[in-house]
Amino acid sequence: MHMFWWFMFAQGGVIAALLLPAHILVQGILGPLGGMPVADRHYETWVSALHNPIVKLYLIVLISVPFFHFAHRLRYLVVDFGVHEAKGMWAQVGFYGTSVAITIVTIWIVWTTAPIDIGALHLLG
Amino acid sequence: MAEESGNTRVYRKTMPPSWWTRKAHYFWYVVREFSALPLAIWLLLLLGEIRSAANGPAGYHPLGGTGFVIFSVIALFFSLYHSYTFLSLSGAIIHFKVIDRQFPSWPIVWAQMIMWAIVSAFIIWALWWFST
Repeated sequence: MHMFWWFMFAQGGVIAALLLPAHILVQGILGPLGGMPVADRHYETWVSALHNPIVKLYLIVLISVPFFHFAHRLRYLVVDFGVHEAKGMWAQVGFYGTSVAITIVTIWIVWTTAPIDIGALHLLG
Repeated sequence: MAEESGNTRVYRKTMPPSWWTRKAHYFWYVVREFSALPLAIWLLLLLGEIRSAANGPAGYHPLGGTGFVIFSVIALFFSLYHSYTFLSLSGAIIHFKVIDRQFPSWPIVWAQMIMWAIVSAFIIWALWWFST
């Protein structure tokens, strides 16, 4: 079980490192400022992308997996500021349980927001 | 600070709350740990935007506004710092030998950085491509 959390911590770090900066730059800055056309600026193009099962899987990984990394970092940040209780079992349940809860909510939201359209896959071909 | 635990006493050295401002190394260590918070908030905002697409065209409100853009600039700084420090660590973590010689760390780090650039370019292209 210990190995599982370390694996998820490492994978969360990798996903956040490789994927997040581009999303923040484009969807957080360039898109809202009108610097370039971005899928999520308009309902039709965003929902069209969300129909795609590969996009759905990608978004679930992008959003949920980094939280296993963040949970560990934030727990140790709290420890480093003198709250030694954050090393305890209940703190671990709280921090890592939150990352599991966010994963479940992410899967539910991404899965239910736009029905999967297998035909959307031809867009990638 | 001493804590009684059965017949033993555990001494725990207390640190002042400002310990992380003493040295630049400590400061940047805390920045690295803290980077998780703005990135987590940014991802939750993205999740909220995805959820709002379930409300139909009239109820969909893409993320925007001055406050969000300013927050994204701050989040981008923390994100780039996380990427740089995390991918640089790969050179220290990954060890293997080639013909009985230790493979140097710099090609591993550079490979990670190049992969980061390629993946970022693909994401930017995909976000544009889905808008057409």
